[in-house]
Amino acid sequence: MSAKTERPEADPFAPWVQFMDNWVKSWSGVVSETVTSERFADSMGEQLEGWLEATRLVRQQMKVSMEQYLQQMSLPTRSQVVSLAQRLTQIEMRLDDLEAKVDEGLDRLKAIQQALAADE
Amino acid sequence: MYFPLPGDLEFDAQGAADALEEWQTGYQRLFKGVKAVLESYDVPVGLTPKETVWTLNKAKLYRYLPVKPPEERYPVPLLLVYALINRPFIFDLGPGRSFIEYMVAQGFDVYLLDWGAPGPEDQHIRFDDYVTDYLFRAVRKLVRVSGAREISMLGYCIGATLTTIYAALYPEAPLRNIVLLTAPLDFSRQLRGSMAMWLKEGRFDVDKAVESLGNIPGELIEFWAKMLKPMENFVGVYVNLWKQLEDETAVRGWQAINRWVEDVIPFAGEAFRQFIKDYLRGNKLVSGQHVIQGRPVDLANIRASLLNVFAQYDHLVALSQAEGIMDLVSSQDKALRVIPSSHVGIMASRRAKYKLWPEVAAWLSERST
Repeated sequence: MSAKTERPEADPFAPWVQFMDNWVKSWSGVVSETVTSERFADSMGEQLEGWLEATRLVRQQMKVSMEQYLQQMSLPTRSQVVSLAQRLTQIEMRLDDLEAKVDEGLDRLKAIQQALAADE
Repeated sequence: MYFPLPGDLEFDAQGAADALEEWQTGYQRLFKGVKAVLESYDVPVGLTPKETVWTLNKAKLYRYLPVKPPEERYPVPLLLVYALINRPFIFDLGPGRSFIEYMVAQGFDVYLLDWGAPGPEDQHIRFDDYVTDYLFRAVRKLVRVSGAREISMLGYCIGATLTTIYAALYPEAPLRNIVLLTAPLDFSRQLRGSMAMWLKEGRFDVDKAVESLGNIPGELIEFWAKMLKPMENFVGVYVNLWKQLEDETAVRGWQAINRWVEDVIPFAGEAFRQFIKDYLRGNKLVSGQHVIQGRPVDLANIRASLLNVFAQYDHLVALSQAEGIMDLVSSQDKALRVIPSSHVGIMASRRAKYKLWPEVAAWLSERST
């Protein structure tokens, strides 16, 4: 029993983890060098370009058909909701400025009151 | 041919039991590791007590509840400004791992500006708007709430870019101290091995990206950031977790950082376009060509005390990008510090609380009386 507790806890995954650790360390520089090479950057750029073009076409098509559908259903479209949200933010900003002006006015009023009280 | 019969074999019962136990321990460890990864997405973060003192659209200004009496606090409040990518809880990862908790305990009145996650309605927001519509108003509110005449600002990553623009645009701002952490500001040198090489003109069509995607998905930016060091980011992080699985504190820390890394938010489309075209490619910020609402963003307008901190092993922001402004600002009291850490580790590693945090607290405390 005592021999069992003295024995270091074995981990059957330890060699695999050790391998992964060494693999990361030894390949890190090479892989980083590869992904930051001009050739890799060109290739990634081309792939991204293709994906963006496909996404653009799909989104454009979806947007047109969805807007038409929602209008026919008498429902607000995405662009209308977006526009509404933007207007709300504009209103929030105006309220914020108004609040700042009121605060400023109250400060001045307080200062005047204090000055008058001091004169009396 | 000889076939051994059960009676012929020497059966090592103890050996078999040990082997079984080893495998059991191994699988328990594997289960623990998988559980740690899965639980990391819900690990509690941002626990330092706070109150919301201002909101605008998705942006929120938090004030952290002081733990020291007013007479023991510094009279100059500190505003933290985080980047537009990821969430700002990198400043507050949990008890014992929180920069905010540390600064509050040091006696600073800490505020945090959380930009929130932009929605489709925020696609038009540019850096200009973040500064003039949001940061300007947040500072105004902070000054009002705190009653302070001057404040300190700490900007991290793109938050440092926004802080710099704010300070350069409003010379009349009540700014006493500025701390910039890993600030991407000067892009005059396009370094090999940086993200800039993937995003340069002719290789990446930023107009098409904004037109196609609207806001730029956080996952795409995260992918670019991880791809600069793919072995470390896609494999190494999990090997590191495995190595420290028995250390509960270390696992908690790993989970908090993993949650922060994975919890990405979109980058407002126009802000992204401006960052790529005006800053990364045009270097307008440092070359003095940046104008907002008719006012020049002149770095010479910056007169506040300046601490510019750079992470030595930062693979996202190079030293040249951060140090370029040191000769352009008018601050008499300015310092550039290099900390041997990474872009995230500078704020969120175990060593951060012994390196960056005390250094920032000491620098600010001398200038916050």
